Amino acid sequence: MGAAVCNWCKRLEMPIIVFAYLALIPLLSVNMASEIIIFSIYALSYNLLYGFMGRLSVGPMLFLGAGVYGAAMCCVYLTANPIACIAAGIVCGALLGMLLGPVTVRAAGAAFALVNMAFNQVGFFMIQTGLAGWTGGSDGKSLYFDPIGPLDFNKPNHVFGLALVCLLAAFFLMRRLTESPFGIIIKTIKENERRGNFLGYNIYGTKLLVYVITAAVSAFAGALYAIMFGYVTPSFISPARNIEVIFATLIGGRGNIYGSLLGGAIFILISSYLPNIIQRWELFFGLILLASVFWFSKGIPGIMDLFGPKKQDVNASAKGGLR
Amino acid sequence: MLLEVEHLDVFYGKAQAVHSAAIGVKPGEMAFLVGRNGAGKTTIMRAISGFTRAGADSRIHFNGVDIANHRPEEIARSGLRYVFQDKRVITKLTVRENIHLAAYPFHVSPKAAVAKICDIYPRIEKFLNIKAGGLSGGQRQLLLIGRALIGNPKLLLIDEPTEGLAAGIIEDVFKVLSQLKGDVSMLIVEQNLDLVRRLADRIYAMKEGRIMMELDNSADSRSGSNLEQFL
Repeated sequence: MGAAVCNWCKRLEMPIIVFAYLALIPLLSVNMASEIIIFSIYALSYNLLYGFMGRLSVGPMLFLGAGVYGAAMCCVYLTANPIACIAAGIVCGALLGMLLGPVTVRAAGAAFALVNMAFNQVGFFMIQTGLAGWTGGSDGKSLYFDPIGPLDFNKPNHVFGLALVCLLAAFFLMRRLTESPFGIIIKTIKENERRGNFLGYNIYGTKLLVYVITAAVSAFAGALYAIMFGYVTPSFISPARNIEVIFATLIGGRGNIYGSLLGGAIFILISSYLPNIIQRWELFFGLILLASVFWFSKGIPGIMDLFGPKKQDVNASAKGGLR
Repeated sequence: MLLEVEHLDVFYGKAQAVHSAAIGVKPGEMAFLVGRNGAGKTTIMRAISGFTRAGADSRIHFNGVDIANHRPEEIARSGLRYVFQDKRVITKLTVRENIHLAAYPFHVSPKAAVAKICDIYPRIEKFLNIKAGGLSGGQRQLLLIGRALIGNPKLLLIDEPTEGLAAGIIEDVFKVLSQLKGDVSMLIVEQNLDLVRRLADRIYAMKEGRIMMELDNSADSRSGSNLEQFL
């Protein structure tokens, strides 16, 4: 019975997601809805690395920035075809992940977090100063994308449609990954990677693959940002913004793909509307983060569990078996 | 010999934990390593399974192949499995997923893997869909032993399978081990001499990093002459 209900839920989840984002348009604006969707793709990618595999990176903006600048440079110097620009952004992110991954995934804990932050700082410097002749440095670049038939991604409604399709694709990919045998290995790495070795898995290769997928999907979100905003500046790769996706992941719940959608939406709403109410809104933001870390480590889904029906006691159900 | 260890030295920094140990396990044999805490039993198991580096002159041959200082996943894939002492399962995964986890690297169908473990330990069937973190120590131990058998390994290294378990569960572990005897070779670290005497084909007694005594036939093993002095 439970499994049948679960199957129905899975069949309905895509229409529910589409409906929820469409409902945001009259409540907010089409641009805000698009921004929430794109940020949620970014949060989904980060959740794979941090939530599922347990690797806290303090430099995920590097890969978002790689996607933004990959798409932008393609638009400025090669072709303004938006699909080609998105592909260029994803390739840039994936290549960067392949380049840095062999170094970063050997580290764990604080070392992993800091190595990623260091690479993010280097990337920020390169965009702002080292490659300023190409990237436009602090001034950035304006972008204009060619229409593809009736689709003109310079129009907000069309960007919303594109972002929504991309979100569904990213969500589907993440769900398949996390529910597959590969997902089980990733969760094993989070809990005890040594045991994975003894079960015969190439744990280093798995970690590297997750890192590259995270980089590529973050870059995918970055490329969509380039199309949505129609300009690029170094703020898209700024290390100061790394906390945003970490916040979204913590609020939404680590290791929960639905949580990425929820956390992404909450972060964009807080950061967009709270400054209108509270001048020093970052204080409120910090307090939420503290509460998430110390009391609500499972994020909003964990809080909802507190008020939901109590789960069956495992040991009670196991009564009669071995002690 | 299926497993042949000679001149095994293991160092932790400058301290030598194992001194020129020699161990052998024949196909189908159940060998035991006994000794006090700190004697070096677990260190030997870890060196054989690739978790700890063996000294340069150490020789570890498994199934005719030198596996000294190979990577743990290579050793596992070659047919040698290690069941750790701490009975750690992947707590956030269900029991079923824990079993599946062991099936994928050896290209065993997950269903067949579950069926195999249920065959060895039928009571696990009703826990398949709960998180493995909810299992008791005995259930975890039997799950880990069953999981190590997936993919038909040639040799199991089992570290203190009865440690911390209640008497009734020790009997269950004993039943499972005796059921497996002859089908798969085993090298077991154990301090429960009753269990050792009932099951052993060969016993190695350790003290202060050295193999002090080897009882290499079933009769000697069962009598377990003077084994108490090593515990």
